[in-house]
Amino acid sequence: MRITILNGEPDAASPFQAYLETLANRLLVLEHAVTKLDLRALNLKGCTGCFGCWVKTPGECSKCDDSATVCRAVLDADLLLLASPMNMGFTTALLKRGADQMIQLIHPYFVVEGGEIHHRARYAHYPVFALLLGASPDSDAEDVEITRTMWGRMARNMKSRLAWSAVAEGNAEEVADELALVA
Amino acid sequence: MNSLLLLNGSPRGERSNSMKMMTRVAEGWVRGGGAQPEVLHLVRRAQFQRAVEAFAGADVVLLGMPLYTDAMPAVVNAYIEALAPRVEAARAGGANPTLAFLVQGGFPEAAHSRPLERYLKKLALRMGSHYAGTIVRGGGESLQAMPEEANRKLWARLKTLGEQLALDGRFGAVELKAVAGTERFSRFAVKLLSLACRIPIIQFYWNGMLKKNGAWERRFAAPYGAAFEG
Repeated sequence: MRITILNGEPDAASPFQAYLETLANRLLVLEHAVTKLDLRALNLKGCTGCFGCWVKTPGECSKCDDSATVCRAVLDADLLLLASPMNMGFTTALLKRGADQMIQLIHPYFVVEGGEIHHRARYAHYPVFALLLGASPDSDAEDVEITRTMWGRMARNMKSRLAWSAVAEGNAEEVADELALVA
Repeated sequence: MNSLLLLNGSPRGERSNSMKMMTRVAEGWVRGGGAQPEVLHLVRRAQFQRAVEAFAGADVVLLGMPLYTDAMPAVVNAYIEALAPRVEAARAGGANPTLAFLVQGGFPEAAHSRPLERYLKKLALRMGSHYAGTIVRGGGESLQAMPEEANRKLWARLKTLGEQLALDGRFGAVELKAVAGTERFSRFAVKLLSLACRIPIIQFYWNGMLKKNGAWERRFAAPYGAAFEG
């Protein structure tokens, strides 16, 4: 299975980063093809809502940054793992900056899906989504549930589904084993 | 309550739909006896910093934003992260301002924005702030395309909400519901819309811009993978 990890941890020395490294290494041992993007190391200028990727250069953000690298890695995957510590009851702004620029992966045209208006797919294939959250003393079960709901809706708008989510607690290798069963 | 800090969280800044809506709320706030608000655009670096510094000193903070990939835009996420010390301050007995929010989404149904509304309500609780409510509105992108006259009713309602905020310290439930518009489409409407989405006229907004930009022929471009053939 091809797995892309979008890591929204801003701190390279954090316990969550170490946890994620262990998890990613275990996935490699299990013979999955893992691409891990540490978003803090990328040049992501952020979405400015210009809609250029929809109406000027369809499918591509016109900013000269690394959002193309992110988009290519997302589409190349069977499973997309969004990873972030919890901060103020949600995932980090760093992860959101990467996600905001993913609108270039869908088409502006409206369609009706599941009784709601959504955007049309641009691609034939999208990865299944998964979410790994770093525990925080400031966050509770309700925060996790709200966060999961918002990313679940984002997955739906990306023509996919949030198939798995977990808080990074306990043995990272066991969590990796569980994740490997998803796709 | 007298001072209002009006924070525009739209990455489009001054010309955003969020700002158009918040301007009307601010007008209502002044009509209700509030002082002229300080307006800051979070997308401007210096104003972002000023917004962090000014937060604690305001009586009321109105934070407005577009719905971006089903949540707050990254710049608003970053702003909320920058407020973390205020959570500690509140726990230590310090006071935080009343929090009010505005979320406008591009899809016509308000339902898309409800999970974010839930997050924002919890944020107010986290900050130890009084929660004044969240204005939710679908179809926000149409504000760009519509003549000002066509939005007259919406502007009036937003002004009423601003007035309520100044007078009562919270938005009124009736006006919030009226501004929200369509929460979800009925089953019948969904069937009609499913058919309508197949005819080009429904996509006129996007088609107009694609043609204007000379990008019409490339509208189904798929630079990173196999194109959807739906």
